[in-house]
Amino acid sequence: MTTNGEELSDGQPVLELRGMTKRFVDVVACDGVDLALRPGEIHGILGENGAGKSTLMRMTIGLVIPDAGSMSIDGEPCTIVDPIDAAKRGIGMVHQHYSLVDDLTVWENVALGEHGAIDRDATRSRVKSISLRYGLDVDPDAYVRDLSAGIRQRVEIIKCLRHQPRIIILDEPTSVLTPGESEYLFEVLGEGVRREGWAVALVSHKLDEVLQASDRITIMRDGKVVERVLTADADAPSLARAMVGRDVALRSESFALGASMEGAVAVTDTAASTDVAPVLEVENGAVRAADGAVLLDGLTVQVRPGEIVGVAGVEGNGQTTLARTLSSLIKLDAGTVRVDGEAIPTGKAGSMHRAGIAVIPADRHHSGCIPEMTVAENLVLSSLDAMSDRGILRREDIAARAGELIEEFDIHTSGCDVPFAQLSGGNQQRAVLARALSINPKVLVAHQPTRGLDVGAIEYIGDRLRAAADSGIGVLLLSTDLGEIAALSDRIVVIYRGRIIGEMDRASLDMERLGLLIGGSTAGEATP
Amino acid sequence: MGDFFGALGDIFTSPTMYGSAVRLGGFLAFAALGELVAEKAGTINISVEGSLLAGAFTGTVAFHLTESTWLGLIAGALGGLIIAWIQANMSHRLTADQFVVGLTANVLVLGLAGFLNGIIDPAARRASIIEIPLLVDIPLFGPALFGETWPTYLLYPLIPLTWWLLYKTRWGLEVRAVGENPQAADVSGIDVNKRRREAIYYGGILAGLGGAFLVLGQVGSFDTGAVGGRGFIAIAAVYFGGWRLGGVLLGSFLFGLADAFRLALPVLGYSLNAQFLAAFPYLLTLVVMYAITKQFRQPAALAQPFVRGLR
Amino acid sequence: MTDLKPRRVMVERFHLTDRGRSGIEMVLLYVLSIGGAILLSGALVAVTGNSWSAVFGALMDGAFLAPGRWGDTLVVAAPMLLVALGMVIGVKAGFFNIGQEGQLLMGAMAMGWVGTRWGGPGPVLLMLGLLLGLVAGGAWSGIAAVMRFRRGVPEVISTLLLVFIALQVGGFAVTTDWLLRDLDANRPSRAVASAALPENIRLPVIRIFGNEFNIGFLIAFVMALVVAFLLVRTVWGFRLRVLGHNPNVAQKTGVAATRMGSAALFLSGGLAGLAGAVMLAGGASGFRVTTGFSQNIGWQGLLVALLARSRPLVAIPMAILFAALRTGSGFLAATGVDRKIVDVVQALLVLALLIPPAIQFIRQRRKALAQAAEEA
Repeated sequence: MTTNGEELSDGQPVLELRGMTKRFVDVVACDGVDLALRPGEIHGILGENGAGKSTLMRMTIGLVIPDAGSMSIDGEPCTIVDPIDAAKRGIGMVHQHYSLVDDLTVWENVALGEHGAIDRDATRSRVKSISLRYGLDVDPDAYVRDLSAGIRQRVEIIKCLRHQPRIIILDEPTSVLTPGESEYLFEVLGEGVRREGWAVALVSHKLDEVLQASDRITIMRDGKVVERVLTADADAPSLARAMVGRDVALRSESFALGASMEGAVAVTDTAASTDVAPVLEVENGAVRAADGAVLLDGLTVQVRPGEIVGVAGVEGNGQTTLARTLSSLIKLDAGTVRVDGEAIPTGKAGSMHRAGIAVIPADRHHSGCIPEMTVAENLVLSSLDAMSDRGILRREDIAARAGELIEEFDIHTSGCDVPFAQLSGGNQQRAVLARALSINPKVLVAHQPTRGLDVGAIEYIGDRLRAAADSGIGVLLLSTDLGEIAALSDRIVVIYRGRIIGEMDRASLDMERLGLLIGGSTAGEATP
Repeated sequence: MGDFFGALGDIFTSPTMYGSAVRLGGFLAFAALGELVAEKAGTINISVEGSLLAGAFTGTVAFHLTESTWLGLIAGALGGLIIAWIQANMSHRLTADQFVVGLTANVLVLGLAGFLNGIIDPAARRASIIEIPLLVDIPLFGPALFGETWPTYLLYPLIPLTWWLLYKTRWGLEVRAVGENPQAADVSGIDVNKRRREAIYYGGILAGLGGAFLVLGQVGSFDTGAVGGRGFIAIAAVYFGGWRLGGVLLGSFLFGLADAFRLALPVLGYSLNAQFLAAFPYLLTLVVMYAITKQFRQPAALAQPFVRGLR
Repeated sequence: MTDLKPRRVMVERFHLTDRGRSGIEMVLLYVLSIGGAILLSGALVAVTGNSWSAVFGALMDGAFLAPGRWGDTLVVAAPMLLVALGMVIGVKAGFFNIGQEGQLLMGAMAMGWVGTRWGGPGPVLLMLGLLLGLVAGGAWSGIAAVMRFRRGVPEVISTLLLVFIALQVGGFAVTTDWLLRDLDANRPSRAVASAALPENIRLPVIRIFGNEFNIGFLIAFVMALVVAFLLVRTVWGFRLRVLGHNPNVAQKTGVAATRMGSAALFLSGGLAGLAGAVMLAGGASGFRVTTGFSQNIGWQGLLVALLARSRPLVAIPMAILFAALRTGSGFLAATGVDRKIVDVVQALLVLALLIPPAIQFIRQRRKALAQAAEEA
């Protein structure tokens, strides 16, 4: 295998980056990265979270100004000051999150990120013609807030294609899509690459995806390029090694790398037998949003002690509502939540917590932690009563307890009195997990517990969840990552539009059927 | 209280009442239109109060020096802009808390205006009345809307202008995007905090103009207590209007009506508790806010600071 | 649906930022911005044709140096500190109560009512008056709490509007026989003021070194210690801070925003009410409630809290500083400068002190950005 990109070159690159470097005070996010994108090619950029892929791409479209390095387009050196400038030079980016404004219509969103007067009719007809041309059906007058995740991504792509880019950057494009939708996305991309000679950069941390879709792969680690290969010459184990920087047992770590290895799913026999009474029951849970949208639609799910129930589904199908309901944040309009057979009032401050439900939220900053408070304070948040005498905090006990948890969960911090915000993402998540498990819960709800973490942390969290189940806790794992669900769950249910539409246990796991189900296709299903 | 209800009938048929309602509402509308734009971009700009007072004062001083109402109005707009500049740059460049800055700016203006007023002691005069033929003859509202001092008429073009800016220009689209989802606006290549600052500048100019209008178009003299919390009522008018232009104007008129009611009663020969009357506009504003606040969806990022990378 | 969006109250984020390594740089920044504020104020004095050194001398004399003045400064500092402590509690819980000017007046009225209309032994009435003052101020901000938690009306606006209503309620009370109006028909100014508090219902006075001050300052000082202890060392204070930082985490761990938030807003206004009661029993306006009784102490107390960036103990010297500016301004007449210059100086100081931590914050964000950029 070669590490020399030039040897692989066969076409003239349309975009060349040389020595791109970005430091943030004392962290080097990108360190002298070279990259060349060629027309008619999909170039996979593979790396763990934190490897510097996003920073590199953000520099390319002018969202981050590089400290050093040069860019050239068609051999002409240039500097790009902002995304609009990038668009003018033919570079477009499809963002993973946060780039559409809910309260604006599709055409208004498409018109954002341009210069000059806005022309409603011209923009609308342009949206329509792009829709038609690439098979991205969408109504230009619809409000984005009413659209599903898949349709939103179409809008993202149209927003990008609006400028007729020659260079397209996709940042983790499939994280919100069903397998079917992902396939369609890559079809559209492949069409564009073949017909119009696009140069595509596909940024991803999923091995399989990059192996399947790309022509050429660049692997980044710790801000540097560690390997460049033609996809035809690549194989999964060596890519994984390059990504992580050590040998990887694909059997146990496959889901962390987004690779579905044959036989990677290790069947264990820890599943609780079906005659044990469930520790958590959600029965016919229904919630409507203030604007009338249905969030949960008669959802029923049960978790028995000692089992991990994986809730698979595409983002936005009710997982967040379910997790927030189990965090006492949302009151059910109808239905009940029971722990050990006892009904728990929903939406009442701390009721779920008192009943023994611990939750690891998908968005730590939403309901998981308080970045402004100290590490110790964050760790003992849920167990203040045990740390106080008649309302007065026992500070030594707090420090001692925090010390224990820091050690037990191997949280890297310079002390327990430093602000929580100073921890890295992986350590923050370990702390959230530590707190959740420290109250000896009966039920542990983990919502996207590994998103955005590096491989080491992903493995760690997975092991912990498994161990929690083995110790008799009922674990509810909500994830959009089918690999993660498949690797960890004893039983898998599929959530779609606020209800459970299918169930399978580990023994009868069928990835293809699972993929169809999460897209809402229940054809041939005996709906439970 | 019998008096009170007896008075209602008389008052709501009195042209004087509508006249002062439109005048006082007009004053609020200047500030509320600007505040609407600032809030659309995501700032609850409580320094609108300071901008009003600053505009009233600088407008008065400019008139005192030049005897020109035009220059007075322009100086008023500039005075309002200066306060908005402080608010905008402290909160959307230096990322200081917007309420802290707004509150402090208000105290600053109050102190400065009081201090300088004692030294300069500027004199002002109401501008001349211009009646617009035909329109002025419309019953009830005609004289109020079209038989006023000429600075009043500045408000009318500002209404479509604000609408056009917010809904028909790229700047307005970006302002709305920035108030709804700053992260999305950011990755689309919009300088979020710049748009927010600009929206506050617009609000400051309009409020300053409103302050100058208060002195030169209505009262005819400056007093440090002249604004007296009307800026906060203008903010309430924006809430009342559900962040929609028509609603905001309606809110300004309604709260102006409450103010006018207070002034009209004694004129019509009714005596009612003076303190109750003086508190009435604020009281009504509170009651109305209580009744309507949950009805509307506010800009999603209202009062949320934006720092790239901070969610 | 009780899903809440945390509004990061950035008033106190110094916790994160002051620990930066660039200590000298920070000191320099502070010196620069405070110097800038003072320079600006001096320029204002100079432009109006006066000597700023004379102004400074007069301020120092009026605040501390002239006989009996530092006692007066402490008398003024007491209510400012109490107001500031109320603000601190609000901010820590995530609420921006800025209607202290009105809450203070309500507290003074309650004290006045107890003192002039109730009968009983003096010390008991004094205690009752202080307590009722606290309750009255708390009730006034409680209106804002109800509006906030039942209907989502932002307390920033409701507390402000309530100030203007409180001023009229005060005006009504002192002109109404069955409330506070002085019933002594012979007193000429009885139309705008209550009767004076009887002598036995006034705060005891301490006399040392030719200065005299009432125990109001001691009350405020002790309250500062209590608030500091409450916030840092008790479960209640801990939960209050959790609510202030992240209402979702609070709700999840059993802190109901409605209950804790209402308590915080009530206490926040209550301390302002207590400030009013202390002012009245300490001799403000000749122990009489008048229409303009609060005299901007409410606003200035707010600035004190901002200046102290929500640290209760730091609020003590800050309150003394602002009180000194205020009592010092009493000596400005001799220099020919309007005492309102002091309001300007106070506001400029607060604005100046916002700048250094903001700059520090921006720097630290840049550092954190690498991580954020990768995780986004």
